[in-house]
Amino acid sequence: MNQELISAIVEEVVKQLMASGQLDISPSKECTCEDITSPECKASPLLDKPQDPEALERMIKRTTARIGVGRAGPRLKTQTLLALRADHAQARDAVMKDVDPKVLEDAGLFTVQTLCQDKDAFITRPDLGRQLSPEAVRTLKEKCIPNPDVQIYISDGLSSTAVEANANKILPVITEALQSKGLTVGTPFYLRFGRVGAQEHIAETLGAKVVCVLLGERPGLATAESMSAYITYNAYVGMPESKRTVVSNIHKNGTAAVEAGAYVAEVIAKILEQKASGVDLVK
Amino acid sequence: MRLSTVLAGKNFSFRSVKEVLAKANEEKSGDILAGIAATSDLERVAAKQVLSHLLVRDLRENPVVPYEDDEVTRINQDSIDPAVYNSIANWTIAELREYILSYDCTEDDLHRLSRGLTSEVIAGVCKLMSNLDLIYAANKVRVTATCNTTIGRRGCLSTRLQPNHPTDNVEGITASLFEGLSYGSGDALLGLNPVNDTSASLGEVLRRFDEVKNRFEIPTQICVLGHITTQIEAVEKGAPTDMIFQSIAGSQKGNSAFGFSAETVRQAQQLLKERGTAKGPNVMYFETGQGSELSSDAHYGADQVTMESRCYGFAREFNPFMVNTVVGFIGPEYLYDSRQVIRAGLEDHFMAKLHGVPMGCDCCYTNHMMADQNDIDNLSMLLASCGVNYILGVPTSDDVMLNYQTNAYHDAAAIREILGLRPIREFEAWLEKMGIMENGHLTARAGDPTIFVK
Amino acid sequence: MPDILSVGIDIGTSTTQLVFSRISMENMSGYFCVPRICIVDKEVIYKSPVHLTPLKNAVLIDGEAIRQIVAEEFRKAGFTPKDVDTGAVIITGESARKENAAAVLEKLGGFAGEFVVSTAGPDLESIIAGKGSGVFQYTIDNTCAAANLDIGGGTTNIVFFDNGEVVSKGCLDIGGRLIRLKKDLTVEHVSPAATKIAQYLGIRLTPGQKTTVSDLERITDKMADLLAQALYIKPQEPLLQEIRTPGSAWLELQNKRISRICFSGGVADCIAKLDGDPIPYGDIGVLLGRSLAKGALMQAIPTVAGTETIRATVVGAGTYTTTISGSTITYARELFPMKNIPALKLTVQEQDECFAGRPETLVQKIKWFLQQSESERLILALPGTANPEYKEIKTLAHCLCEATDAALPAGAPVLIVLEQDIAKALGILMEKELSGRRKVACIDGIKVEQGDYVDLGRPMLNGLVIPVVVKTLLFG
Repeated sequence: MNQELISAIVEEVVKQLMASGQLDISPSKECTCEDITSPECKASPLLDKPQDPEALERMIKRTTARIGVGRAGPRLKTQTLLALRADHAQARDAVMKDVDPKVLEDAGLFTVQTLCQDKDAFITRPDLGRQLSPEAVRTLKEKCIPNPDVQIYISDGLSSTAVEANANKILPVITEALQSKGLTVGTPFYLRFGRVGAQEHIAETLGAKVVCVLLGERPGLATAESMSAYITYNAYVGMPESKRTVVSNIHKNGTAAVEAGAYVAEVIAKILEQKASGVDLVK
Repeated sequence: MRLSTVLAGKNFSFRSVKEVLAKANEEKSGDILAGIAATSDLERVAAKQVLSHLLVRDLRENPVVPYEDDEVTRINQDSIDPAVYNSIANWTIAELREYILSYDCTEDDLHRLSRGLTSEVIAGVCKLMSNLDLIYAANKVRVTATCNTTIGRRGCLSTRLQPNHPTDNVEGITASLFEGLSYGSGDALLGLNPVNDTSASLGEVLRRFDEVKNRFEIPTQICVLGHITTQIEAVEKGAPTDMIFQSIAGSQKGNSAFGFSAETVRQAQQLLKERGTAKGPNVMYFETGQGSELSSDAHYGADQVTMESRCYGFAREFNPFMVNTVVGFIGPEYLYDSRQVIRAGLEDHFMAKLHGVPMGCDCCYTNHMMADQNDIDNLSMLLASCGVNYILGVPTSDDVMLNYQTNAYHDAAAIREILGLRPIREFEAWLEKMGIMENGHLTARAGDPTIFVK
Repeated sequence: MPDILSVGIDIGTSTTQLVFSRISMENMSGYFCVPRICIVDKEVIYKSPVHLTPLKNAVLIDGEAIRQIVAEEFRKAGFTPKDVDTGAVIITGESARKENAAAVLEKLGGFAGEFVVSTAGPDLESIIAGKGSGVFQYTIDNTCAAANLDIGGGTTNIVFFDNGEVVSKGCLDIGGRLIRLKKDLTVEHVSPAATKIAQYLGIRLTPGQKTTVSDLERITDKMADLLAQALYIKPQEPLLQEIRTPGSAWLELQNKRISRICFSGGVADCIAKLDGDPIPYGDIGVLLGRSLAKGALMQAIPTVAGTETIRATVVGAGTYTTTISGSTITYARELFPMKNIPALKLTVQEQDECFAGRPETLVQKIKWFLQQSESERLILALPGTANPEYKEIKTLAHCLCEATDAALPAGAPVLIVLEQDIAKALGILMEKELSGRRKVACIDGIKVEQGDYVDLGRPMLNGLVIPVVVKTLLFG
């Protein structure tokens, strides 16, 4: 038998096997984008041979959930597994890393700290994250204008990534919009290791009528950049949570920071007008 | 009742049973946050030592929240079978532990024993158990319950399919639902956590679940986990549901922070009897989780394991179809890392089963906790090995609405194969009919959500 | 959340109809988020019977008779003009080209009080019919591309949607009443388009003379054939251009595939009428339906049944012409309502110049636009940008203020419409910069094209949103 004949026979057998579905030598589906965490990559199904490929694409468009991912036996495919790990790593970094000093410098913010000494204390001791260190109180009294209509500050909360992504977009819009309404806006600063409840201490320390913290939210796998604004009229230590007005989901895929800033300024103006915030505020 | 001991040459004494219970706990960041944890490992063991010599009677007579002040305590105390209780009232907690672990103690014995145990007694014995003890003891017991199908039989591992969506888009929910069904997920429940807690929104999703359940003749249960009062309103307006859900706490104050009371649950049960779509009789679904009482300042100075145990005492009263702890959802200030989460998962499962509650577990973690998906693999394997009724299933372990991670749809299929477990019988027959499962294995067709597309 | 009551009035070549719809809105974002008001439900709550369009003679619509029909339908539906929040009057098909359409509109505008009065050009009409027939929603629900053919008395309006986006639209003078006949097949009326098709086939049709069913069938077969050509199923002949409705766009596929077609309009109901009298209405509607049923088009592309047929246009007019702005916007309340504002659309390049702080091109363009449109006002339409930097938006605001100061009459308001959600930030910064010398309305969430006209209604829902109607062509 010559080489050609053998080749021809092999080719024919392979063709038959493939046609009957007994042999599948199509390469495992893999996304061609380089970055497996990119939206394009996540939007392309890894499932081999869906019964209705068009329907699958339709389904994937309807939800951000990771569907159409296929499987290796009863386990995840490698790309799916690694994309999950990458998203989790980003979320962990957002929680554990400090805000880049360059970002704070660009925003012209000085830094003060709560009673937490490190991230670990911050994560396990929310009570300490609500209180200012004595040094922080001194610094604030020294550097900030007293008794402003509105005191705005930035805090890391559970995502320093959120601060890095949004602070320089949202802060100047709020400030400018409030100032154009003739309101006094306090000296902005950055509070490290801060929980929402620290704002009561800030308001008391600086005598602000309204206090507004722009704080990083606990990251999900979809985004680590989500920020919220917590705004309170006449905040005092021991006040009920219901006195806070919250504007959340501020990030590039939620409400973009600049636009959210314009909205937050309007909410603050309304709070000053009504002298009330939280459940007492008539929206 | 002796509240002091000598250990390693040191004297330890405690002021109350509540303090002994708290300090006998394995380390939990939530107990430290509450300021009630043992201050050293040795003190922890000393508390365990004191606890081991307390009597069942001591724990029953010293509930961590007073009977007069709290309906959870009253429900728990009033449900105790006097005959069973009297037969063990003078046992020490150490004796109780050893009886539970002994070969003499059968599954039937444990079911009987359960009726004489208050939540504090069960929490007490839990604190004397190692992880393997908890697994071994829990494995003796199966607790079944029946809604449309029967959950909890020996040899079964079920899943709650959780097709959550960031905006409750019904088509998006359906896409996740089909994905899950194609992996053989959903024999315990098709259950959504809604974003919009309105009866209209709940009704819309429930109607879709009901339609899918009927169109494909799926032998399972459906529920949309809004607030209990919203679900009641939805059912009153004609929404189809098999079950009503509520998150519960271990004190009346905690439940009232959740916006309901025992009366609300009774009202829901009555409504489902008249207008629910389930065959029954078990139509309630509860979720719990260590630390929730502290977070609403409703813990009365008690530790989070004891408060968690009291949730099961409350749940038992209402014969639920399913109960699960959402064990790692609460955050690192209550359960610091995977070690604490895994311990809590095993504790909760054991305590619930000893209460006679049909128990599942949402083996989960948030991104600010020192844990990752490997830990969830571990916990779900451990719980499946000792007969947990169900675990969760979400697309690829990532819940895009609650922003946490739990088990992937894939996981139950792998665990079932490893441990020789099966879905609920009728559901498995349905999977075979759909060509998704064969002899307990996924088929080539499995994992393709488009097999459900018209 | 309150509802909007919307009225739709469709005055077609052969029929006149009216519907009332209730448009429900809801804040779709969570309680703790920036509000996002969306239209969540559109329910037609009253449909009038199909009236024959009253004509004074072959070319003039009887405006007074139309007014009486509308008044009677308001009464039957239990509404007064005061109840109506918004709506549209659409004069469609050949009627729209009739010389007294403007006068008719005036009669109805006066009657219907404050609601948005509008007229359709053939292209807007195509979109409206495609929305009213349900195809628009179908392409969203099924993530697919589908075309709607609304075949009325005088025209066939075609629109091609892909997943809720308009790919293209077109209009042909093909309809069921292009030829009108007496019982004995004596020709009463032949439209110019029908004459062209007959001539192409070598058939003579003269008013007052008899014709045959087989000649008419050859004509309707050709009409069906031309529709297949319009959808690129068959090669396009020069004749197709000749029967294109004046002022309409040419349907393009844009490299997309039409996976479904849907028929609406009166002729859609004739497609299934394969037996019985071929000329029951004294026109060629039924014959055209039969020609379509056996034609190349329906063999090539699967059909999908619409939710409306003869009422597609009126339902579309009543429920789909009004949309709402984004929920974070800036405006001076006293500016509204405003009607028929011509839009000047900036390209991405022109917008980029503004982002770069160079207003010169924009100044020139505004001046040219005002001169050319003989208007004193305009609305600037910008794509905007997602997640901008503060400095970008600040520069854009500054540039827009400079340009409008240079090109608009003193004191005239600055009107801006954006696609991306940045209107509140941009508007606030512009208001600050203008410090009261001009009023500002800056809204977003709306896509406007060059040549469109925009109606802006009074703010609703605590001032969060304003209702908006975008029209492709103003009539008269």
